[in-house]
Amino acid sequence: MGKNGAGKTTLIRTLNGLIRPLRGVIYINGENNATKTIAELSKFVGIIFQNPMHQLFSNTIEEEIIFSMKNLDMTKEQVQEKTDNILSKFNLERYRERSPFNLSGGEAKKLAIATIICRDPEIIVFDEPTLGQDAKEIEFFLELIQDELDQGKTIIMVTHNVEFTFENIPRTILMSDGHIIADGPTEKVLTNDLLVRKASLILPQIHQLKQGLRRIGIEVPNEIFREKDMIAFLNNYLKLKIVK
Amino acid sequence: MSFEFLNAFKFLKKQTLIHRLDPRVKLLFAIIYTINALMFTEIMPLLFIFFTLLPFILIGKLFKQWIKSIRSLSFLYVFIIIINTLFITNNGFSFSIAMIIRITIMISAFSLFFLTVDPNDLALSLISMKIPYEIAFSFSLAFRFVPTIAIEAQNIIDSQQSRGYEMQKKGIISQVRNLFPLLVPLIIGSIKRAFNVAEALESRAFGSKKERTFYFTINYTIIDWIITVILMILLLGFIFIRFDLLIVPEWFSWSLPV
Repeated sequence: MGKNGAGKTTLIRTLNGLIRPLRGVIYINGENNATKTIAELSKFVGIIFQNPMHQLFSNTIEEEIIFSMKNLDMTKEQVQEKTDNILSKFNLERYRERSPFNLSGGEAKKLAIATIICRDPEIIVFDEPTLGQDAKEIEFFLELIQDELDQGKTIIMVTHNVEFTFENIPRTILMSDGHIIADGPTEKVLTNDLLVRKASLILPQIHQLKQGLRRIGIEVPNEIFREKDMIAFLNNYLKLKIVK
Repeated sequence: MSFEFLNAFKFLKKQTLIHRLDPRVKLLFAIIYTINALMFTEIMPLLFIFFTLLPFILIGKLFKQWIKSIRSLSFLYVFIIIINTLFITNNGFSFSIAMIIRITIMISAFSLFFLTVDPNDLALSLISMKIPYEIAFSFSLAFRFVPTIAIEAQNIIDSQQSRGYEMQKKGIISQVRNLFPLLVPLIIGSIKRAFNVAEALESRAFGSKKERTFYFTINYTIIDWIITVILMILLLGFIFIRFDLLIVPEWFSWSLPV
């Protein structure tokens, strides 16, 4: 995370060689990526960019997904099977024969994610995945990344959405003016007032509530970070108070 | 693939004599230098035209950007040299050098124009030539969107490459087919943006009045007239040389032996 122009997108572009670093070396799976082409690196690192309309061009959604797998060594049957799997996984089956340009913003984004996921990269990089998504789509997205994590994939995400990150993402890296200014567990990084301000973010609401409650004398335990924990704690607190 | 050469056409605000000139003078400048360059096919006169152009670049403090734009077009130069030397049997290399100077002059003249003319003034100068505001405005809007489209093209290339798209392919047909994944999103994006821009303009009451007034005005000053006269003299001089009305020394039609 970090303010606009901090270098987040530039950093993720270096991962599959779209931009080559002027100084320093990038290692992917312990191998130097300077010697590999973009096509080779893209098999390991799948980047999903902000604007899905930048990559949709086929006549039908099915072709769109098939195009992504063209350069992988797969037989026709394998490609067809994979396409069917992906389409049903993303609930896009009913649009199979439709043009990708008729999709809504959220669905287009879903399709853009599908075109990368079908390539089975080990590292999946999202640029602003929650932007312009409704609650249901974000929920679907969460399930999707959980599913990928269960398969042992690495997921990197660029986002401005503090609440989403605080609730769901275990590790946060903050950037500012082209430098990494913090890297650690989300609960620690995003509750640090100084760091958060430097990255042009705001403190998560749960943390602000915690501070506010403490100010009026309610001792909230330190380990409450999630919304549901906070609700449970407050319910408990009120019950105890009524009993007293 | 890089779009760096488009930087040659990006306006930068600076305080120099060239920047303060009336946009119409600079348009005249670009046109006259293009005509001059197109009149000759020999190295010497083209070089001479090129040297008359250099002071303008230096006065405008544009040397760095100019070098950058020339460098990014070097692939074009290589192309010109190879094609001309191969296909023109008589003094092909000499001719290709002349063509390179010619194209350098034209690019320099136009990049000087776009580097020093504020897009807003461009519309104004067109209106002062009795061109309707709608047309003048869309003209300046087109220039404003050149860098935007360049950035978008780069984004499209990046997103397609991330899903295994390969830029280089063998064979002309597959190369043309290979352009579809880039061109389709670019064209559709441009059309969509055009609609968005139109809506944004209309929501700000574009075209609600027939007669427009302008916040900034442009006018021809003494310096503008002086430059205009200089340009005219240059043009006339080169026309005289071209049609042998002026006696020029022998070396003026010199060319490389190959």
